[in-house]
Amino acid sequence: MDITRRDFTKIGCKIIISAASGTAIVESMFTKGIAAENPPEGYDWEKHFWGYVVDTRKCIGCGMCASACKMENEVPFDEEVYRTWIERYRVKKTINETREEEVEIDSPDGGIEGFEDDIPAEEIKKAFYVPKICNHCDNAPCVQVCPVGATYTTKDGVVLVDYEYCIGCRYCIQGCPYGARYFNTEKGTADKCTWCYHRITKGLLPACVQACPTGARKFGDLKDNTSEVKKIMDEERITLLKPDLGTKPKVFYIGLDREVR
Amino acid sequence: MQPHLKRAFTILALIIIAFIFVRSLVVPESFGQYGWYRGDSVKELRNLTVNYAGSISCGEENCHENIYTVWVKDRHKTVNCETCHSPAQKHVLNAREPLTPADDSRDYCGKCHFKRISRPETFPQIDPEAHGEDLRCVYCHNPHKPWFD
Repeated sequence: MDITRRDFTKIGCKIIISAASGTAIVESMFTKGIAAENPPEGYDWEKHFWGYVVDTRKCIGCGMCASACKMENEVPFDEEVYRTWIERYRVKKTINETREEEVEIDSPDGGIEGFEDDIPAEEIKKAFYVPKICNHCDNAPCVQVCPVGATYTTKDGVVLVDYEYCIGCRYCIQGCPYGARYFNTEKGTADKCTWCYHRITKGLLPACVQACPTGARKFGDLKDNTSEVKKIMDEERITLLKPDLGTKPKVFYIGLDREVR
Repeated sequence: MQPHLKRAFTILALIIIAFIFVRSLVVPESFGQYGWYRGDSVKELRNLTVNYAGSISCGEENCHENIYTVWVKDRHKTVNCETCHSPAQKHVLNAREPLTPADDSRDYCGKCHFKRISRPETFPQIDPEAHGEDLRCVYCHNPHKPWFD
């Protein structure tokens, strides 16, 4: 029996359609049970959208935030990995012929033990601290590059890592323009700030915000018009880190210098 | 239909069925529940242990009410209890669970209050060389009520 082009197409189409519908039926059989259940019990993630404010004018570089973060989230204490850290910027007085500023940027042990003045004060024009943390970008590069779907943005705007699914390939660590991710050698996965997701979903503040003695770090709900963060967003002049990358960060800075990268 | 085509189609169908079967075994149930990720991981991350209980839990139920009322009125009220007294959730759940004693050394106070060029000028700072003769700060200043009045 000869097969015509028409017959071949007919049979082919039939097989493809039946395979597709078979997949759909099997899928629906397996996913029916959980699809109806709404996520995190007692907490509706549709009602919140979190944001973070850093007021660099208030930071005193004490390092309480960075050590509180390590204790709350069991980040390896003796390794040089941080979910949040403090950078010190010191702009020197020496101006060369091109009028370029000479800037010293450092963050010894993430700022956990504070900072020593190791450059004489006479040489410094201005100096300040900049706390850094994951920006929980709306358009996060780290989420795009993950090959296994182990990192994702929740509906309340937090970028999280699935530690069971992560294969430890480190693409996300490379992809983050803010250097906010690190490799957790204990878990064998990539790791990052979660804005203390286990705390904020229970109505607590992230550990770093709670530990900050000067109120340089603020955390709140952008969907709540009475929250402090929302008010700052509406009234203050805020800056983002690397806005030109189009990552749409949700950490908003007040009082950033042009030298801050 | 020609037999060799029949065979090819049968094999193709078997491969598709095998793929569907293996996929249903390998992909976790909650994958794709909310997006292209494992839905259960949101729950797992929500259920991690809390270590910092928050200052309010220190002052309630006649536990540390006295010191709490002193602290909450004074200027160190922005420094939460656990910032110096270490994370206390275990202690809140079980009072027998001891806390790490607060560090009352001069250097610990200095983490915030030693003069540093990078600190905001309005923040209270001392020159450790000139102030206090190397005594522990708590000798004169009560950390819960640091200002003389």
